[in-house]
Order: sequence, then C-alpha cells, then structure tokens
Amino acid sequence: MGKRLLSILMASAALGGVAEAKTVIHVMHQGDPGWVATYGEIAKRFEAANPDVDVELIYAPHDAYNEKFSAAVMSKQLPDVMELDAPFLANYVWSGYLQPIRPLVDKDVIGDMTESNIAQGTYPIDKDLYAVGLTDSSVVLYGNKKYLEAIGARIPKSVDDAWTREEFEGYLEKLSKLDGVKWPIDTFRGYGIKTEWITYAYGPILQSAGCDLIDRKTWKSVGTLDSDPCVEALTMMQKWVTNRWVVPQSSGTNQFFAEGHPAALALGGHWFYAEAAASMKDDIVVMPLPKFGPRGASPNGTWIWGITTASEHPDIAGKFVSFMLKDKLYRDYAREDSGYPGLKSFAADSPLYAAGGPMAVAFEQASKTAIARPPHPAYPAITSAFMGAVDEIFNGGDAKAALSKAAEKIDEDIEENDGYPPFDEQQ
Amino acid sequence: MTLQQTAPPAVLARPVSRRDKGRLFQEIGMLAPAVILLTIFLVVPFLLSFWTAMTNQPLVPRPTPIRFVGFNNFLRIFRDELFWTSLWNVSRFTFWILPVQCGLAFATALLLHQKLPFRNLFRGLFFLPAITSMVVVCVIWGTLFQYPTGPFNQVIGFLSGGRIQPIDWLGDPNWAMFSIVLLSAWQAYGFQMIVYLAGLQGIPDELYDAARIDGANAFQRFWHVTMPGLRPTHVFVLVITTIQAFKLYTQVAILTQGGPKSSTETVVHYMVRSGFEEQKLGYASAVSVILFLIVLVIALLQRQLLRRFDV
Repeated sequence: MGKRLLSILMASAALGGVAEAKTVIHVMHQGDPGWVATYGEIAKRFEAANPDVDVELIYAPHDAYNEKFSAAVMSKQLPDVMELDAPFLANYVWSGYLQPIRPLVDKDVIGDMTESNIAQGTYPIDKDLYAVGLTDSSVVLYGNKKYLEAIGARIPKSVDDAWTREEFEGYLEKLSKLDGVKWPIDTFRGYGIKTEWITYAYGPILQSAGCDLIDRKTWKSVGTLDSDPCVEALTMMQKWVTNRWVVPQSSGTNQFFAEGHPAALALGGHWFYAEAAASMKDDIVVMPLPKFGPRGASPNGTWIWGITTASEHPDIAGKFVSFMLKDKLYRDYAREDSGYPGLKSFAADSPLYAAGGPMAVAFEQASKTAIARPPHPAYPAITSAFMGAVDEIFNGGDAKAALSKAAEKIDEDIEENDGYPPFDEQQ
Repeated sequence: MTLQQTAPPAVLARPVSRRDKGRLFQEIGMLAPAVILLTIFLVVPFLLSFWTAMTNQPLVPRPTPIRFVGFNNFLRIFRDELFWTSLWNVSRFTFWILPVQCGLAFATALLLHQKLPFRNLFRGLFFLPAITSMVVVCVIWGTLFQYPTGPFNQVIGFLSGGRIQPIDWLGDPNWAMFSIVLLSAWQAYGFQMIVYLAGLQGIPDELYDAARIDGANAFQRFWHVTMPGLRPTHVFVLVITTIQAFKLYTQVAILTQGGPKSSTETVVHYMVRSGFEEQKLGYASAVSVILFLIVLVIALLQRQLLRRFDV
C-alpha cells in the first residue's frame, strides 16, 4: 500500500518534470492463495531488480477466468502479460490478442522448453510460439496400495503395461465389494460440471477408445464426437456412475485420502500428488492411465504465460516472463506443488518426475501418450458442449443423444463464425 | 400523474398564464433527472439489446464480420431444448418458492407483530439472512447439503434412526431444484416479512376494536380484518416474489451450475452462459428480450387477476 502511494507521488512528481515516471506493466493471473502470494513475491523481486518498472498484478479466479478476460477486452483494459489455459490459446491468437513471444523472452528459456511445452504454446496456423510455461501437466491413476493388494491387482510399472479396459473394470468391480472401500474410484466430479477438468481428464478416455471431440482435419464434430467409439466410451463411464463406483459430485474432492480412505483409486491431476502423498505416505501408488481401446492417451497443457498485442511495453513484459520462469522462488513453489516440468532445467531439478521418482510414470506419459486438446478457435464452444453432454450422461441421459446434441452445437458455432478462417481451409 | 393532479385539463384549456407556465417548467425540471436517468440506464439499453438480438454480435471483437440475422436468434432459441428446460425449471421454482417464501414471511410477520418481549431484537434476527450476501449463504448451505455426511443428512439420519438414506441434495436431479428453493426461501424471506410487517401496522387498531365489540374471535378478526387489510400487500409481495423468482441465477451459478442433468438450469443462467461462456452476445440478448416479455406478461396477468378478486 505504501509502495502504491509512493508510486502515485512519484508519478505526480514526474508530471511536474522532476523525476521520471515508472513504466507499469499489468500481469493477469489465476491460482490458489499460495500461488497468488508467490506471484506477489516475484513481482516485488522483479521491481527490486528493475527499479524503473512497476508490476501490477490482476487476479482473476480460475473458474471465471475467460469471463474476466472477455470483460478486460471489452473495456479495453488488456494486461501486458497474461496467464492463459493452453487449449484456449488458438482462440486468443485467432482473435488477435496475443503476439509471438519468441523475440520477447530470453533465448535460453525458449531452448529450455520440452516438446510438449512448445506444442501447447504453438498456434497451428503460422506454427509460431505465443506462450511459454514453466510447467506442463498430466493425469494419472492413483491407487491405494492396501486395497490393490487385497484384490490382487497387477500394478503396472510403466506406460507400456498400463491396465486394459477389462482389467480396469474388473478391478473396479472387485474393489466395490472390498471392505473399507466406499467408492472404487474418484474421478473428481467434485470439481463441478462446468470446469475444464471434464474435457481435460475425460477427453483422453475418448481418444484412447478411438475417437475424439472433433475431427482434427475437417474440423467437424458430427461424425466424430457422436461416433460409436465415443458413445460406447461414455456409456461405459455412465455405467461406473450408476454402479456407484464413482465418488458423487457432492462429496468433495479428497475422498482418496480423506479419513478412512473411502476411495480406492483416483483419476487425478499431477497436482494432486503433493497433498495425497503427504497424507497417504507409503500407501500411494502412481499408475499410468488405463488403455480403453486401441491406443493409450493422456492429457497435457496447463496455464502458461503470453504477452498481449495491447502491451505498450512488450520488451519489458518479455523481460518479466523470462525473469519469472528463471526465478528460484517460482520454481521452489512449483516443485512443492508437485509442478509438472515444462522446462528441461526444471525437470532436471525435480526428483519427483525423474526416472525412478514416484511420478516418473506421469512424465513418461508426456512423450508416449499425451494428446493436446483440439487447437482450434472454437475450443470454448467445444469444451462447453462436451461438459453439458457429460453432465447429462452421468445423470442417466442417453449417451448417443447427448453426444449428437453436443456435436451439432459445436458445428453450429463453427458455421456461425464462417469456419473461423483460415481454419476452414486448413484441411 | 403529478402533472394531472396539479394542472387538470380545465386549467390547461384556459390561456396559459405566466404563473402556470412557470409551474410547468418547474415540474418538467423536477421530472427531468428521473426521466433522463431512466432513459439512459433502462430504455436505451433495452432498445440496444433488442437491436443486438437481431445480430450475430460476439462478446469480444472477432475477425469475422458482424451480420444482421433478423429473428434467427429467436428461432434458434425456440428450437433449443435447453431453453425450454430452463423455462420449465424457473416455473417449477416459482411455483414452489411462492408458497414457501411468502408463507414463511407472512407467518413470521404475524408472529413478530404480537407484543412479544424483545420484539425488535427478534425482528432484527429474523431479518439477518436477508442482509447476508447470497454468495455467502450459498457457500454455507453448500456445506450443509453435503452428501452423504453433511449436517442435514446427519440430522435426518439421526431422527429417522438411520431408516432414511442420505439425500444427495444438490447432486440428484430430483432433489437439486427443491434444495435451491429451501435455501432461497430462507435467505430472502426477510424482505417480504418486512413488507408484511409494514402492511400489518397499516391496519388501524379501531377496526380490531370494532370487531372485538361485535364479538369476533381471533380467527374471525384475522380472516375479516387482517386479510382484507393486507390485500395490497399480498399483491405487491406476490408480484415482486414472482419476478425475482424468474431471475434466479446466483444460487444456481454457485452451487449447481445448472446441473445435474440441467435440472437447475434457469433462463438467466442460460443467458449468461450463452453470452459469456459461448461468447454469443447477440444470442444472449435475444434470451434477455424473451425473459423481459415473459416477466412483463406475468406481472400484467397477476395484476388483472388480483384486481378481479378485489371487486
């Protein structure tokens, strides 16, 4: 507060021609309270290293981030630096909000990026890089060792020997009859029904079963999302729910390690590890996502940093992004949060994900099974339609009907935007 | 209205004197702020939203052109099953909330109108939920509703000796809207209660005295003095509650996001969703125009209906 007052004083002094005004850059971000505090610290450190720059942080809650961003666009108050969820990148670049980031951040940062990190920051039309992240992400299958041993389950050691669908469903059935297990699996329905988690975590189940949210060549959803493999996959998930194998939505998000360990398995994000391991100690095993069909699939992509076209000081914005990604505090906090490496130097620094580490399987998935969410500007419509369909199916709706409706909604949105040129010519 | 009271037509028919003219200017001057503000913040936005509803305007600027699409948005809304579901849901909500909330408000108002000790303290306590933010109420009730081990389920389990299975209040399509009704009625009844209290205080004591002298018992006094005396209050409360019920949004946005299985999707939630999540501003404007017309029709119908009862 005192600092803000000081900068106002300084600014007014500058009007008088006495001192030079500071350059202000605005940084928009999301995150839980721990992250918010960390970003605040980093901003202070950057200001200390660059006395002529003021960093103003703008916080927007995770679940309403896109709404808040739209509001910023409408009121012409775009930040200089923004955190963004990777699958929305195509929409932002297509709409003209982001600028190529390669010339703005340090070369060694770019050279440090993993394949998957580059993939999540790249716009498919011009193949240019628009965002950089320290981290990436994945989803794994956590298991409670005690329960798994009690039913004699095979525990896969690498992505190549992941459970098959038959094994997985067989174990769910056995677990449902085991004493002490209230629910065989938590798929984190507690995150809500309007959350990117749905598309992020359940999308790979479709891809593994042999279909997708949208055809990535013709960019048509009808014929893909409502195809037989997709209908079959979601009917399978519906069965898990109606069999009461899945933790219900209103039971919160920590049934895996809550008192008495009521859930035996958890289909959870890498970020869940820190908390779960701290509570479960040696009882936790980390396994690759099961193979539900012809191929293995896992999600990737996370919140990464981009620089907007509205920035009046893109060079300083780039300097801030480079500073942050190299900052020790940022890395320490990310590691504590079991952050999934997106930079090679951070991976080398993360024993959790190294070969032999407890989350090695998660890192292995990145190179073997990771499939990015559709990089298309219609992504907001795609994910929204899919969330609606999943809610309906999990509550007893007909899978075929719900998916057809979603697919039609997606195609309608693309049509309404004239095919999002030049994506319509991209076949 | 004010114009007519101070300057009836007979006065206007005469040649306008300087004094009358002065008075007219004064009245226009006093009306001006309200008229200007209402025009800027109500009339113009409404006309704008009607215009936007006829285009394919996106929420944020896009590289594709904005086109005039006529009534396409409206046709598309009427074809969307989800819109009809949301309309059905708010109707259900209204149907339940009217008796629950107004009944609760009326009952507490009657109670607090008695000469109880600490009456004002109780009035304040009963009004507390109404001044608590709906968001806070939702977060608290969200915990109370937890399945299967939340406080409500614990109490039900205890009272029924474990015979009644825990209820998935917000996660079961058959229960979710009802749970929202309970919470909403509890949060908002304080406002209607205050209105009823005011109405009760407006009934002159002489009427009760006269009724007593005529030998009317407590119930007769209630039925023949209190109820007729409250008629305008009933109309007001009914109209206000219905209109508010049709605008149901906050509770749904926080607790259920329209689910499960669209059982709590409401018209306003549907509008915000198409406008912000799917970024179709034109489409969302069309929904808002429809909602406006629906509320207007309901308000007019209610007035007509209740006026008929009055005669």
